[in-house]
Amino acid sequence: MHVIIFNGSPRVQKFSNTDKIISSFAEGFCERGNTYELYSISNRREWGDARRAFNENKNILIALPLFVECVPGLMMEFLETLVPKTESTQISYILQGGFAEGSQLRCGEEYLEKLTHELGCKYGGTLVKGNNFMLRFMDEMQVEKETDGYREMGKIFDRDCNFFSEECRRFTGPEIYSLPVRIMLDILFKTAFKNTAISLSKKLGCTKPLDYKTLETDEQWSEDVTVQQRAV
Amino acid sequence: MVLIVNTTSDKELSKEFREILEERNTEYEMIEAAEMNISPCLGCNFCWLKTPGTCAIKDDYEDILVRAHKADQLWVITNTALGFMDHKGKNIFDRVMPLVTMNLEFRGNQMRHVMRYDKNPDIGLIYLGEVDRDYLNKWNERCAVNFGSKPLGAYPFWELKEAAACM
Ligand SMILES: Cc1cc2nc3c(=O)[nH]c(=O)nc-3n(C[C@H](O)[C@H](O)[C@H](O)COP(=O)(O)O)c2cc1C
Repeated sequence: MHVIIFNGSPRVQKFSNTDKIISSFAEGFCERGNTYELYSISNRREWGDARRAFNENKNILIALPLFVECVPGLMMEFLETLVPKTESTQISYILQGGFAEGSQLRCGEEYLEKLTHELGCKYGGTLVKGNNFMLRFMDEMQVEKETDGYREMGKIFDRDCNFFSEECRRFTGPEIYSLPVRIMLDILFKTAFKNTAISLSKKLGCTKPLDYKTLETDEQWSEDVTVQQRAV
Repeated sequence: MVLIVNTTSDKELSKEFREILEERNTEYEMIEAAEMNISPCLGCNFCWLKTPGTCAIKDDYEDILVRAHKADQLWVITNTALGFMDHKGKNIFDRVMPLVTMNLEFRGNQMRHVMRYDKNPDIGLIYLGEVDRDYLNKWNERCAVNFGSKPLGAYPFWELKEAAACM
């Protein structure tokens, strides 16, 4: 089987979490001799070839990050350039996001099914999973471990050629976390997670607190000064 | 104040909308964004981790963000494509990320980002074309919760008066 894979992330390929997910998935998928072509939507120079591949192939897989509950704006712009097909092409999706619960991705998933029909194609299902935000900050070994499940899903796609199986449904994990887990995570958000974010920001050369109120700070400062001057 | 960003080239629509709003004495600002230089969000995360609160992309969106931050409501007038808002409309929302911090919390039973500012604009949509309105409403609800505010609803262009009644 030959599959055309689009990475719908606007983030450059090198830093894209979706790209890391695709790599793992493709390893599993290609184990028994399948092949694929990858096009990154972040690179507008690939759009012409990506369009041609969409037109000429019957098995399309779009992997994308959730951006504000749906398709990223740049991917939307690319999709708007496609001509809907009349043949029996199938589109399947790998939808991934930052928030961890499955329920976070359902609004996006619902749209992907609609999108498939808008493009005149058959829906091959969506592999849904969150909690991928940190991938870009991990080293190779960690990424391999974190994305291992996608390798298995690649094998399932080789077997079924869609994402409708029970294995794929289970891959998502919990729809929402139970209250005890939420309480524990909430503590981690305020401690370990916050510290990780601060150290990442320092590595990037950040000199401000992460909750810095850019739009108010400068303005607020000048307002405060005016009030003080008036008081004087 | 109500901020309206028109990402379509339909100036007749915004003219009609202005008349309705002026008649109602609504305090509003209208930005004609169709011809503006507004890049999509490129997902660099600088607004969270490198320059908190400031987008790395310097273009016409900078001014929109400042105004959105001051506004009580943000309405986007958008074209639709492939059953959803088109890329110009979606870019306005993707680029709102500097108003959000990287920190997480649970609001209700779901993870959300902690908002950077105490006050956040409620969000509404006015759309051209034929799409599933229920879906746009659902999207609007989830989007507003993510931005720590309230959804105002998705209105087709022939319901400008109904939209104005929420302002
Ligand atoms: C503008 C923007 C909006 C996002 N919106 C969501 C969202 O609504 N839900 C979610 O779970 N993750 C959201 N994310 C997180 C990304 O989906 C996540 O970090 C993903 O792994 C990025 O993949 P990429 O590196 O391939 O772009 C958003 C990220 C950005 C930059």
